[in-house]
Amino acid sequence: MVLETILYIVAYPPLWQLLILGFLGSLVVAMVAIWFERKAAARVQRRIGPYWASPRLGGFINIVADMVRYVMQQVIIPNTVDRAAFILAPIVALVVSILPLAFTPLTPISLYWPVASMEFSLLIALAITTIPPLLVVALGWAANNKFAVIGSMRESYVITAYELVAVLAILSGAAATLSFNLVDIVEAQQPLKWLAILNPLAFLAAFLAVLMSTSAFPFEIPESEHEVVAGPFTEYSGVLYALNMGGAYIRRFVYAVLLSLVFLGGWAPYTPVSEGPIAGFIVPSLIVVAKATLLVLAMSFLRAVYGRYRLDQALEAAWRLAIPLALLGFGWSLALAYANVI
Amino acid sequence: MPARVALKSVRRRGGLFEGIASNIQALAVAVKYFVDPQRATLLYPREYIEHRPGYRGFIVFIKEKCISCAACARICPSAAMKMVRVTEPDPKHPDRPRQKQYPVINYQRCIFCGYCVDICPTEALYHVPFQDVVYESLADMFLTLEAFQVEPKRPAVAEGSPVVYEVDEERGLVKRRR
Repeated sequence: MVLETILYIVAYPPLWQLLILGFLGSLVVAMVAIWFERKAAARVQRRIGPYWASPRLGGFINIVADMVRYVMQQVIIPNTVDRAAFILAPIVALVVSILPLAFTPLTPISLYWPVASMEFSLLIALAITTIPPLLVVALGWAANNKFAVIGSMRESYVITAYELVAVLAILSGAAATLSFNLVDIVEAQQPLKWLAILNPLAFLAAFLAVLMSTSAFPFEIPESEHEVVAGPFTEYSGVLYALNMGGAYIRRFVYAVLLSLVFLGGWAPYTPVSEGPIAGFIVPSLIVVAKATLLVLAMSFLRAVYGRYRLDQALEAAWRLAIPLALLGFGWSLALAYANVI
Repeated sequence: MPARVALKSVRRRGGLFEGIASNIQALAVAVKYFVDPQRATLLYPREYIEHRPGYRGFIVFIKEKCISCAACARICPSAAMKMVRVTEPDPKHPDRPRQKQYPVINYQRCIFCGYCVDICPTEALYHVPFQDVVYESLADMFLTLEAFQVEPKRPAVAEGSPVVYEVDEERGLVKRRR
């Protein structure tokens, strides 16, 4: 009885979905992703990577120590910055980054949705994911530093090119299933008709766009270290810098959750059998999170393969390659819908 | 007259399919190394490189063989080796001591070229096959005549295992455990 009550409290959708999965989950996923990024790049480049801090865990403690260092570091706020925007922008960006999770169903049972109705949930979630880059531009401007301004200018170039691709490519899920309801989209691909298999073009375009718009490694243009010191985050230190970096990882994680719902069939191999909190909510949500984690790790792995693109190369890739790819994927989805495949 | 800048037209390499193919190839190589890593990094105190004989490492002096010709000090390109004058008992005339010159070495200057070892007519100098010896201060690196005759100890040997680098036909430089 007590256990059941605790389970119901844990499975309270805002608590489980936003705090535990959204905040803590993406923190853990970010740590695992950073660790995996370093280890995988080391393996591919014939090095060993982080090791001595904890040889049995493969040096994972190293990442925890980094986190602790960021939290303990002194936060320096220069005199020349716009203080309010400088402090508020990373915090607001972090909160807004998690918000799309409030509109993503992680289970088909309506009892466990954070909002009452999932109509148009895909549109709302996509719309919210496009807000945080604007805050990154704002905080780069507020920092009043040449590197920050250059970095935020690059960010603005990049988001104009790639948010379009991301929105188009993810909306092709809606085009295939003729619904903006994420639950319908997931249910439509239920047995094994995943959109990533039926429509690989749109999936590829969405993957590229997520990489780009969250400035993951091959497209780490706004904060490329050896050109503009840390881009928009040049003046940041301590917790505020950690918030910025964490915001980027949370955005990537949230995008990955969206991708795994739209393209990878959501809680696909599993269909909830009862309405209990474990079978009805926790297991399907964990399946979605596992798929999203795999996607994030795949994005991290690309660091070992590609060098950083220049800004003009990335923009050319966007306008010449990614947008036609996304449009093709969208058309393919419409054809799928017309042929009643899904 | 300044040189004219000529703009070369660079042909775009390959088409779309070649680009896709090369991307897939790069990913395949990365996955191959990820699954089967060939690490070249040395985990230093736990592993150390076992060099082949003939490696030019630290230099040890055998006093008994030295004929005080000073060829080593003259050939030394970085002036690391100097002769010192020593008063010692003469085996031929026990009643009066003799003065003799012996080399000492300054490892702050030595570049480990091995010329002194090569030129020594009586082979009174020889290399030990390692270079990872640590001194606590700069003054310690200026070896006295007594210290020059003692073979230095290799710190990594105490806790590490030897490793050999070999050139592999396909993989390049490969680390092998002995």
